[in-house]
Amino acid sequence: MIADALQTLLNGLAAGAAYALLGVGFTLMFGVMRRLNLSYGATLMFGGYLGALLMAKAGDALPDGLLAVLAAIVTVAGAALAGLYVERLCFAPLRDRSGVAAMVSSFAVWMQIEALASLLLPRHTNPYPAPLDLAPLHLGALTLRAEHLLTFAVAALLAVLLHRLLSASRFGLALRTLSDSTAAAQTVGIDARRITLLAFLLASALGGVGAWLVLVADQQVTPMFGMWSTAKGLIAMMLGGLGSIPGAVIGGLLLGLVEATGQALFGPQVRELIAYGLLFVVLVARPGGIFGRATVDLDAAARERL
Amino acid sequence: MSDFAIGLASNIGMLAFVALSAYLLLISGSISFGQQAYFGLGAYAAGIATALWDWPLMVALGFGALIGGLGGGLVGLLTRKLHGLYFAIATLAFAEMTRIALDLWHYQRMVDGEFVGPDGPNGFNGIRRAFEDGWDPATFMLLIWALLAVTLLALILFERSRAGVTLRATGEDPVLTRLLGADVARLRVTTAAVAGAIAGLGGGLYAHLNTYIEPRLFDIMLGVHALAYGLIGGLGTALGPLIGVLIDIGILESTSLFQGWRMIAFGGLVAVLLIWRPRGLLDEPTVRRLRALLARPARHA
Amino acid sequence: MLEIADIVTAYGKIEALKGVSLSVAAGHITCLLGPNGAGKTTLMYTIAGILKPRRGSVRLNGTELVGQRADHIVSSGIALVPENRLVFPQMSVEENLAAGAYLRRDTADVATDKEKLLARFPVLKERRAQAAGTLSGGEQQMLAVARALMSRPKLLMMDEPSMGLAPLVVAEIFRIVEELNRDGITIFMVEQNAHMALKVAHKFFLMEQGKVTFAGAPGEVAQDDVIHRAYLGSMKVT
Repeated sequence: MIADALQTLLNGLAAGAAYALLGVGFTLMFGVMRRLNLSYGATLMFGGYLGALLMAKAGDALPDGLLAVLAAIVTVAGAALAGLYVERLCFAPLRDRSGVAAMVSSFAVWMQIEALASLLLPRHTNPYPAPLDLAPLHLGALTLRAEHLLTFAVAALLAVLLHRLLSASRFGLALRTLSDSTAAAQTVGIDARRITLLAFLLASALGGVGAWLVLVADQQVTPMFGMWSTAKGLIAMMLGGLGSIPGAVIGGLLLGLVEATGQALFGPQVRELIAYGLLFVVLVARPGGIFGRATVDLDAAARERL
Repeated sequence: MSDFAIGLASNIGMLAFVALSAYLLLISGSISFGQQAYFGLGAYAAGIATALWDWPLMVALGFGALIGGLGGGLVGLLTRKLHGLYFAIATLAFAEMTRIALDLWHYQRMVDGEFVGPDGPNGFNGIRRAFEDGWDPATFMLLIWALLAVTLLALILFERSRAGVTLRATGEDPVLTRLLGADVARLRVTTAAVAGAIAGLGGGLYAHLNTYIEPRLFDIMLGVHALAYGLIGGLGTALGPLIGVLIDIGILESTSLFQGWRMIAFGGLVAVLLIWRPRGLLDEPTVRRLRALLARPARHA
Repeated sequence: MLEIADIVTAYGKIEALKGVSLSVAAGHITCLLGPNGAGKTTLMYTIAGILKPRRGSVRLNGTELVGQRADHIVSSGIALVPENRLVFPQMSVEENLAAGAYLRRDTADVATDKEKLLARFPVLKERRAQAAGTLSGGEQQMLAVARALMSRPKLLMMDEPSMGLAPLVVAEIFRIVEELNRDGITIFMVEQNAHMALKVAHKFFLMEQGKVTFAGAPGEVAQDDVIHRAYLGSMKVT
């Protein structure tokens, strides 16, 4: 029993680590724009499809190790490129205007990317190169898959790097000021447009790595990946509190744990139901997420206006 | 009218319901990614009413609208204090929960020697009441459009009323509206209920025209499309979402040659359109200008 | 130092500034007075490059600023202490100061300046690691001023520095303003508190409904009349 629970915990944390990366990407974008990028998952899928395309076209000619490395690079770069496209088309032109329009525009691009992906690789399942062919490690009754270790290691490394970037670099300072108060950031001379673009690239690259970790474990990429990663990233971000990076990490891990537990107890479909149910409950009861910020109290806001 | 045209017109009509549903919330300042849930609830409710409980068609359609309205109102009530994106995500979460719940739900009864009813992911077959009653695709299309016309008329009249203006004001500046005395929370819940009912009505019609529904149909794609129709056609008038549907389905049919590229081109067009017109073709300033133009001949007469 | 000529700034169809002209002399404290809604903050944002005017010119020592990006204007030597302070609430006092020096590349000097400012505002030094959002109104005002000073501006613009603050704190703020001016910083200040403003100003302008309606120096004109108009605008006495 305990061994099962520990295994569930392990599986949950591994999945959660990937979700955390997705959630952090969403949060970075939201922080600088105060808008949701609905095409985020699709851009990651685009990167994944480039990796699968590489495998389909050149998989036989390249040694496995090289193929895996190239696929990783192509996936992250593809995601970043797609993210650049989205930022320029959907968000930069609508900066000071309608937020809904920008979000719907990003949804339109999601449709574009899915259509493009289907044109590139028409089949539903497309093999994705995995770098490791190691047997799982058995510690007593626990099974530690190589992908688990890889996910933990990579996610931890990225977390440390990101923290350093945000707290100790000039770019990190600019990012945090924009997220904290866009108006104030302008008064100290921070170029909101440039920083937003860079934030997008960073978020796409991070998401690309998260996607790579998942695809490497699944060893395939399907057209559903866009929707799937959007949902996971979104839930992770909201659970931890919209706009909080540590929150997104905790939210991602929590989501992974809840899903693994739900699956172990009730099966895969109820698992999804629980994930969304948890999100809904958190939003209704404590909208600011775990690191909450309050809801709008209209009466208080009215008083302030006066 | 050819079968193809009838089918097309029916689709446009039914999609217009869910588009109007999202539109109503949009003008009140709420972005909902989840109106598809009430469309689906309405479809299932109306289908169960006729196929399992043997209710008359019109009553069943009303029941579908009622269930849609209850769902919308419930979510509106639970989320009334949420603003902006929190609300949007909450609606999305609820819609997905509904879809998954329908995927898990089995409710079948023996009717005329066979099992009928929602069968989880296998969907809900045999919603034949409309055709058993004598409706055919052409007359059913007329029914759809008649109900749509009534709904549109009601919405247009509403928008010109004091309540409608208050609703738009809430959308633009809820704090100010509160200062002026409006009970914004109650207005929001009522709007959510009405929007849910509109979607539910459309769902019931959908179920009876197609005779088969499954949970997969009521997914986020439908939800965000519903939003997009209003944003493309224009948020200045209830006719806007309808125009949005016409544009989308119109392009879908006229470029069937370029299957793969259609979505790429259309997506790009939408993105560019929104840069130019963030609130759609018939946005508020355009509608005002049109109204002024139309009023002029009357004055000269 | 700063020449503003015929600035027109609009929000959509509404013209907030209908042709504003004034000048700020180097080394002086110049005050802009006027009732609420006159457009004073709009003018500040226009000068700072955050808002773009429809027409008109803003020259800093002869260089045209209209059309420049906000960050370029900051690096030209204008710093803004915004209305309502606008500190970065979740960042610490120290980080707020660091943000103020964002455009500077001379890291060693930035560090020295930071310590100097913390020494000048001991209250901030005490709370250097605290989140700026938790400071009191007066402390936030000082932080906003210190943050602006971190960019070593030639011209310091202050938008309603006394707003929402207790009289003792207001007196302190104005004392700091005079001190800064003595150190050579030109100050352009928007103020609701005409009484205090006229005590420190070398020159003042009165703005009503998007236009400058009066210019003068304290002592030249009857104080009461000016103060009256600053709060209520021109009133026709029947």
